[in-house]
Amino acid sequence: MSIADGTLLMVGAIFALLVTGLPLAFITGLVALVFTFGWFGPMALPLVTTRVYGFVTEYALVAVPMFVLMASLLDRSGIAKDLFNAMRVFAGRLPGGVAIQTVVVAFFLAALSGIIGGEIVLLGILALPQMLRLGYDKHLSIGVVCAGGSLGTMMPPSIVLIIYGLMASQSIADLFTAAITPAILLMGSYIAYVLVRCLRNPKLGPPLTEADRAETFANKWQALKAIIVPGLIAFMVLGSIYGGVASVTEAAAMGVFGVLLAVLLRGELTLKTLHGSLSQTLMTCGMIIWIGIGAATLVGVYNLMGGNRFISQVILGLDVAPIVIMLVMMAILMVLGMFLDWIGVAMLTLPIFVPIVEQLGYSPIWFGILFAVNMQVSFLSPPFGPAAFYLKGVAPPSISLKDIFVALLPFIAIQICMLAVLLIWPSVAMWPV
Amino acid sequence: AEYEWTFQTSETAGEPQFEMKEQWAENVEKMSDGRISIEILPVGAVVQANQTLQAVKSGILQGHLTDPSYFTGQNPAFGMIGNLVGAWSDPYNFLDYMNNGGGEEIYNKLAEPYGVHLIGAAATGLESLPSSKPIHSVEDMQGLKLRAPEGMVYNVFEKAGATPVNLPGSEVYTSLEKGVIDAADYTVFATNQSQGLHEFANYPLYPGFHSLPMVAVSINNEIWNSLPGDLKAILSTSVDAMAYKMVGQLKTRDLEAVREARKDPNIHVIDLPAEERAKFRAIAKKEWKDWADKNEITQEFYNSVVSYLENHNLLKAEDGGSADQQASTDSQS
Amino acid sequence: MSSQSSSSTPPETPEGEQDQSVAVRSTFDRGVVWVARRVAWLVFIAMAISVYEVIMRYGFDSPTSWVHETVVMLVAVTFSLSGPAALASNKHIRVRVLYDSVGPRFKLWLDRFNDLVTFLFCLGMSYAAFTMSWTATHNPMGEWDLERSGTSWNPPFPAYVKTIIMIALIVMCIQSLIHLYQSVRGKPAQPSDDLGAA
Ligand code: NA
Ligand code: NA
Repeated sequence: MSIADGTLLMVGAIFALLVTGLPLAFITGLVALVFTFGWFGPMALPLVTTRVYGFVTEYALVAVPMFVLMASLLDRSGIAKDLFNAMRVFAGRLPGGVAIQTVVVAFFLAALSGIIGGEIVLLGILALPQMLRLGYDKHLSIGVVCAGGSLGTMMPPSIVLIIYGLMASQSIADLFTAAITPAILLMGSYIAYVLVRCLRNPKLGPPLTEADRAETFANKWQALKAIIVPGLIAFMVLGSIYGGVASVTEAAAMGVFGVLLAVLLRGELTLKTLHGSLSQTLMTCGMIIWIGIGAATLVGVYNLMGGNRFISQVILGLDVAPIVIMLVMMAILMVLGMFLDWIGVAMLTLPIFVPIVEQLGYSPIWFGILFAVNMQVSFLSPPFGPAAFYLKGVAPPSISLKDIFVALLPFIAIQICMLAVLLIWPSVAMWPV
Repeated sequence: AEYEWTFQTSETAGEPQFEMKEQWAENVEKMSDGRISIEILPVGAVVQANQTLQAVKSGILQGHLTDPSYFTGQNPAFGMIGNLVGAWSDPYNFLDYMNNGGGEEIYNKLAEPYGVHLIGAAATGLESLPSSKPIHSVEDMQGLKLRAPEGMVYNVFEKAGATPVNLPGSEVYTSLEKGVIDAADYTVFATNQSQGLHEFANYPLYPGFHSLPMVAVSINNEIWNSLPGDLKAILSTSVDAMAYKMVGQLKTRDLEAVREARKDPNIHVIDLPAEERAKFRAIAKKEWKDWADKNEITQEFYNSVVSYLENHNLLKAEDGGSADQQASTDSQS
Repeated sequence: MSSQSSSSTPPETPEGEQDQSVAVRSTFDRGVVWVARRVAWLVFIAMAISVYEVIMRYGFDSPTSWVHETVVMLVAVTFSLSGPAALASNKHIRVRVLYDSVGPRFKLWLDRFNDLVTFLFCLGMSYAAFTMSWTATHNPMGEWDLERSGTSWNPPFPAYVKTIIMIALIVMCIQSLIHLYQSVRGKPAQPSDDLGAA
């Protein structure tokens, strides 16, 4: 069997198994296992579990359970509710105000951390139920949480850009600098989208009524007091990173510590709360990490089968203008992003794409930004959209995966527009570099 | 091709060493008239860097081109031979020791039970030390928060008075930038410069003095034993050719990057003085001795490498005496 | 919505943990969830020692040599064991477009198919994990010798984590075998709390 046939067979098998309702983690893992056995024989089987080992011992993932725990604790204590009630007071009569604030909060979280899972889980536990409670449109609320929560890998410090810099031997500082404008533009576009939709139909994000106002906080001063504690926690995380106290991953643990202190000070810390939060953390990890495990095994096998050489032949076989090659690479990134998580896509494509980009005379820094925006799309795109899975892990049971993916479509469209803008006017990203 | 193999390296595809390794594979194909075809894969493509030894043994990969320090946890001798901290001031001496001083024989004695055969040794050149604090002497290393990975580096810097921090490679950039650590055992000067590390770690030490990672080019032992003599000779010769080319090309790149860095008024490239290097080596030598006690192979390697260094006058007499004393007072302070 | 046959049991909750009602399919699953909830405290330990490291390094200039490796190990163990826990409570994410639109008979056949495939998958993975764990706990001569991390502290964590992965997969094997037995006998899978279509 040729690698082209093998690739088709893999994709076909994944789709066939998706329909049966088998868990996604087992689908990719099973395809990896069967292809390892069929292509290389039984002696190669340990490859699959070695990939599992590699994935679970990934240092960058340590932040995931920390963020889940932080979110769960904020949720089980009254802090989260207070925070969003307060935000609602400040949102005043602006339709969609809390959704816009959620995007802004997501953006600040993005400036703290470089991974997506944690932020989406955090916003999914904190912001989503609150928005739903306030009568916000389900789809709009979901989209804001997932798209906003994905910004962490666009805004520095971003693990996607760091890995890109390491894999492509490019200046991480330049990548960070170039990423800031597109990240802010993405945030701005999300806000603009929410605003336009809610102004046209205020039912999507109902503004605060006087009766509601009486229920929450008497005045802005009281609301402000409710924000102090979460503010201090944010300061603790942010301060420990920018003050050189903790590494990016350690800062997540510092955040949990801060939340614990806050919950303790409010007199809400019980063994039951803590045990419940930890249980929820473990279950959430089970849902989201095992999908990553499945994808990780698939990438290893596909690389060994010669998958990356196959992709390179497909591209180099083209006899077209350089910009068309760029578009083809964007298309490949987008298609792969449907099935794999970003680290898998990076492993598979960057060794091939970056030399081609340089050969064509384009800037690899610019390509890094294009890659990062592409990965923003991949977080949201079905059938394997990690952002959707992270949210599914913590969202109220009434929200199905289909709801989530439907909600994400307009935000994917915004991201693709941003990609087009960056392709047409590279200086939008590159002006400060 | 008669033989189709997959070898994994320990670099990402963007690093210059990766390209050199690809050229080696092309060279092997040419020299063998197409009988051997090797695909070179970047780090992590199939398995993690520290899992390639088992992967080659079990036949998932047919070979690897990697720093044996990754396998220190399976046998400390891998770490000791892979990167004898402070021993080498010139990569050509290391290659000479491996080729002609008995190094490759000892390495194969170690590796063959693990199912792999060393075709030949190469080296990446001496790593520089990016630092955000000026280091002009061993004394300046006191309390320095320095990132150190697996292997011997951690212990030697600890003995030199530094405070090693155990952080993974992906956290080095931001940790150095934000000041969580002061310095890092990381990679060669040119790569640090191209990643923009020197913008905040602006007191890099170059030329390096502490770390010279070996690149072990190895193949599954059974495959090696089944090869005809001419192909074995082609593989060995081609690795030696790559080794010498690699040292030269990496040095050229480093020197270009150093010239570029010197133009930047904020970057201060520091060349550690000879007597300080000697002090550091004296400290390292004690650590070698500790490692020698770990097992038979580390002892054999220690005896062999020290006698090579002495015979070639690379452990100068004046280093030993006074520096040893200096070092012991340092480490007590 | 799922249709429940008369033989199906309502969601069961371990004693004293009513706040965390989780639908489990067997007594074995209930035990898995019980253990997993205790394993979750490893995350708390990981958090606590990370904070300790930050304080020792920043406040007292004496970073530890053991925290980072321990944190990675604790989190890796948590991740590994979260797999059986999610399987026990039917929390693994799946696409339910077809599953939710078919009748109870076809649904049962889908359950049987999925339980069989899951079992075969876990069986293959357990075999692979056994080989991996064996290599990590024995030296080339076949003697007991744990794979270590190779750092200055040099703990045998790689051997531990690889063995835990093997245990997690074997547990999942047993779980899915019980599920298979149940669905072949005609007992439908207790759906997770995800009742929406898709
Ligand atoms: Na970020
Ligand atoms: Na996707």
